[in-house]
Amino acid sequence: MRGIQSLKIGISGVRAVVGESLTPQLIVGFAEAFGTYLGGGVVVIGRDTRPSGEMVYNALVGGLLSTGCSVIDVGVCPAPTIGHAVVDLAGDGGIAITASHNPAQWNALKFLRADGVFLNSYQGEELLNVYHQGAFALQPAGSLGRVVRDEGAINRHLAKVMAATDRKAIAALHPRVVVDSCNGSGSVITRGLLEKMGCEVIAINDVPDGHFPRDPEPIPENLGQLGEAVTEHGADLGFAQDTDADRLAIVSADGEPIGEEFSLAFACDVMAAERSGVLVTNLSTSRMIDEVAQRHDCRVVRTKVGEVSVVEAMIAEQAIGGGEGNGGVIDPTLHYCRDNLAAMALILKGLATKQCSVKEWAESFQPSAIVKDKVPCPAASIQTVLLALQRKYADEDLDLTEGVKVLWPDAWLHARPSGTEPIIRVIAEADDQPTARRICSDAIAVIREVIG
Amino acid sequence: MSLLSAEASRPLKITIGGVRGVVGDTLTPELLTNFSQAFGTYVGPGRVLVSRDTRPSGRMVSHCVLSGLAATGCEVVDLGVCPTAALQLAVKDSDAVGGIAVTAGHNDADWNALKFIRADGIFLNHHQAEELLNVYHQKEFTKAAWDELRPVSHDYEAAERHLEAIRAQLDVETIRAAGLKVAVDCTNGACSDYTPDFLTSLGCEVFAMNDDPDLPFPHEPKPTPENLSQLQALVSAAGADAGFAHDADGDRLGVVTEQGEAPGEEYTLCLAAEMVLERGDPGPVVTNLSTTMRVEAVARKYDREVIRARIGQVYIAETAFNHRAAIAGEGSGGIVFPAINYAHDSIAALVHILELIARRGTRLSELVADIPEYYMVKQTVPCPPQRSFSVLQELREDLRAEWADEINLEDGIKLIGSDRWVHIRVSMTEPRIWVISEARGPQLARDLADQYTRRVRRLS
Repeated sequence: MRGIQSLKIGISGVRAVVGESLTPQLIVGFAEAFGTYLGGGVVVIGRDTRPSGEMVYNALVGGLLSTGCSVIDVGVCPAPTIGHAVVDLAGDGGIAITASHNPAQWNALKFLRADGVFLNSYQGEELLNVYHQGAFALQPAGSLGRVVRDEGAINRHLAKVMAATDRKAIAALHPRVVVDSCNGSGSVITRGLLEKMGCEVIAINDVPDGHFPRDPEPIPENLGQLGEAVTEHGADLGFAQDTDADRLAIVSADGEPIGEEFSLAFACDVMAAERSGVLVTNLSTSRMIDEVAQRHDCRVVRTKVGEVSVVEAMIAEQAIGGGEGNGGVIDPTLHYCRDNLAAMALILKGLATKQCSVKEWAESFQPSAIVKDKVPCPAASIQTVLLALQRKYADEDLDLTEGVKVLWPDAWLHARPSGTEPIIRVIAEADDQPTARRICSDAIAVIREVIG
Repeated sequence: MSLLSAEASRPLKITIGGVRGVVGDTLTPELLTNFSQAFGTYVGPGRVLVSRDTRPSGRMVSHCVLSGLAATGCEVVDLGVCPTAALQLAVKDSDAVGGIAVTAGHNDADWNALKFIRADGIFLNHHQAEELLNVYHQKEFTKAAWDELRPVSHDYEAAERHLEAIRAQLDVETIRAAGLKVAVDCTNGACSDYTPDFLTSLGCEVFAMNDDPDLPFPHEPKPTPENLSQLQALVSAAGADAGFAHDADGDRLGVVTEQGEAPGEEYTLCLAAEMVLERGDPGPVVTNLSTTMRVEAVARKYDREVIRARIGQVYIAETAFNHRAAIAGEGSGGIVFPAINYAHDSIAALVHILELIARRGTRLSELVADIPEYYMVKQTVPCPPQRSFSVLQELREDLRAEWADEINLEDGIKLIGSDRWVHIRVSMTEPRIWVISEARGPQLARDLADQYTRRVRRLS
C-alpha cells in the first residue's frame, strides 16, 4: 500500500518530509537544476533553525559546486535576510532552506533570483523543466565552485531596518514587548533589533534549535502562551513570528491576539501616511487595507494570493507598501520581500506616532470579522465547484481573477483552490462574526453539494 | 565504441577499493550521496569520520558525503584535509563505526573517489564491500526523522595524533643524532601541512617543496621516477642525505638517494622492511603478487617468510592482520606498519627509512645497492572493464610457460620461475590490464613482458 504522498514540487519550490521524501538525492537534483538554470555564478544560501537544515545545506552545496556555482553561506537567518543578502553580495541567485509555517518534520527549498526576490511563476516553471529534463551542466574538477561563509548578513539586515525606522520616537515610547520567535530563525535577530530600537524586550521561544514549541503559524489559536506572557509581564504588546521570520502577528496588552490581518493593516497605515501611491495586497486580505487607502488618499491593487504575485505587482505599480493578510508585510523602501522585522519597525513607529495602544489602533478601524475556512476538494472537482459558486452568486459583483470572489457593499467572500493542498480555501469578511460565519458556511455548503 | 575513445577510457570504477570516477562525468553528486547513504545504512547508526585529500573536487565531494551520511542519522565528524592513514587511526582509536576517505590517491586531479573504512580502522574487505554494494543497489537507505538528525562536528587534530603514534615507534634520539638533511616533495597533497614540521621535530634539516595544500598538484601525484625530477634536483641542490615524495593522500612513498637517483618505488618496501626486521619486530613480510623478488632477498637476511596476497590495499591489510606480519606493503610504495595500524602510511615509511639511514650510518645509495638487482618491466594494455575478465579467462586456457615452476591464479595469472616471473592482472583503479615481469636482466624482463602483452592485446 502506498504511503502518504509527502513530496510537493511546485513553481514556488519543493517541500518534503525529513526521513521520507526529503532525501539528499532530491536536494542535489534541485541544486544541480538551479545551478544549470543560472548557468553558474554565485548562489547565496541561508536557512531557518530546522535540524534538517544542515543536511539539506550540505547536499545543496555539493550539487551547486558540481555545476560550477560558488556558494556564499549566510547561515541560520530569517528568510528576508537571505533576500537582502542576495542583493548585497551580488549573488546570481539564492536559496532559502525553510518550510515556514509547516510543522517540524518538513523542510523546503525556495529559490531566489538576482534581485533577491523569489522566482515568479514563469521562472519557477523554467526551473522545474530543467529539473525534470535531468540534463545538468556538471563541470570537471578544475571548474568547480567554492564555498565562503558570510557572517555579516544579519547585522546588515538589522542596520537597514534601523536606518529606515524612527528610533527616537520608539525609544521615547520605550514599549515593553514580548517576542515569541517559535525557536525559529527570528531567535537570532529580533531581540537585538528591538533593543536597538529602544524597546524593553522579553523574548520567549528564542532558542534557535528548530524544536517548535507551538504550531508555527501565527494565528490566534497558536498564541496562547504569548498572550499569557504579555499579561504576566505587563507588556504593551506581543509579537509572534513564524519559523523564518517573514510573517507576524500581534497580541495586545490584555493578552489577546488581535488577528494576523492587523499586521498588514497597521503597517500600511504607517507606510501610507508617509507618501501616497499604490498599496498592493491579495484577494484574500481584509478590507481594512481599503480603509487605510481611503484614509491616506491611496489606491489598492489586489493580486492573486502569494508573495511573488504581490511583489511583481508592487514593482510594476511602484507601490508604496504591500503584503498579505496572513501577516506578511513588504516595505518596498527596504526590499521586495515579506519581512516581519520591517513590519515590527513600522508598527512600533505607528504606536509611537499615534500615542495609542494596540487595542485603540485596532478599534480605529471599522469593526469587521474575518472567518477563514477550508474544504477538502479533489483536483478533478475544482472547476465544477468554482462554476457552481459563480452560478450561485451570479447576481452579485464578482471578481474571477483567482477562484471566485464575491463583493457585497459590507462584506466579501473568496473561494480559491490552494496551490499546495487538495482543498478549497473559503474566506469571508463582514461587519460581524455571525455574518461572516454565515457567508462562509453558505459557500461551503455549495461546495460540499458539488463534491457529494 | 573504440577501445581508446575518451568515453571508454574514463568510466566509473566500483571495486572493493571503493567507488572512483571522473568529476563531472561519472562521479556525480547523486552517486556520491547514494553511496554515502548506503555506507551510513550499512555501518550506522553511530559516529562516522570523514576526511579528504587536497584535490580540487574534495570540497564538493565532501559536502555530498556529509549530507548522505547525516541523512541516515549518523553523527558525522569532519576531519578536513588529512592523510588517509590519519583518518584510519582516528576511526580505530575512537568509538566511530566507520569512516570515509575522499581521495583518489595517485589518480590525477580529474578524479575523485570514496574509500570506506570500518570500525577497526581498516578498509572494508571484499565481502564487506560486496555487502555495501548490495545496500547501494537496493537503495533502501536508513532515513532519519527530523529529530534524529545529528549535527556535523569537526576535528582538525587527527593528523597530529597520527604523527604522535608514529613518533612512539621511532628511536628519535638516533635520528636526531644523525642530523640528516632531508628533501621532501609533498605534491601539494594531504601531507603538506604535516611532514615538513614533523621531520624538523625529529632533528632533521628539512628542504620541503610542493607543500602548499591550496595549490594544484605540480605533477601526477604518484611517486614514480618520472614524477621525481623536481625532487632529484632539490636533493642535489641541497646536498640532502635523502629525498622523499608523497602521493596525494599520504599512502605511497617514493625515494631519491643522496646521489639524486630514484631507484624505483619498489625500494620503499625493501628499505622499510630492513628497518623493521632489523629492529626485531616479529612475523613474516606481507606483499602482493606483483611486487619485486627483492622482498624475498631482504626477508631471507632475517630468516623471515614472505607471504604474497592479491593486489589491493584491502588484501595487504587483511593478510598482514591474519599472519601477524612485521611489515606489509606494495611495490607501488604503499607500506603498512602493523604496530601503528593496518593502513598504508607514507609518513611512517619516510621516518622509518630515515631511522635506517641513521642507525646504519651509511649512505642511502649504499643501502639501495645492498639490495639485489632485478629488472622489472610494467606494461599495460587498455581494456574496457566489461572485457577484462574474459580476456584473462581466455589467456588462462591457453598458457605457454614451460619455464615456470608455479602458476598462481589467485589474482589474474602469475607465472613464477626460480629467477623470473610475469604477472598479468586487471587494474583495480583504471580500465587496463597490467603485464608485469621481473628477471635478472633488463632484456630478459622486457622479452618476457612483451610476449604476454602481445597475447593480451590480441585477445582484447
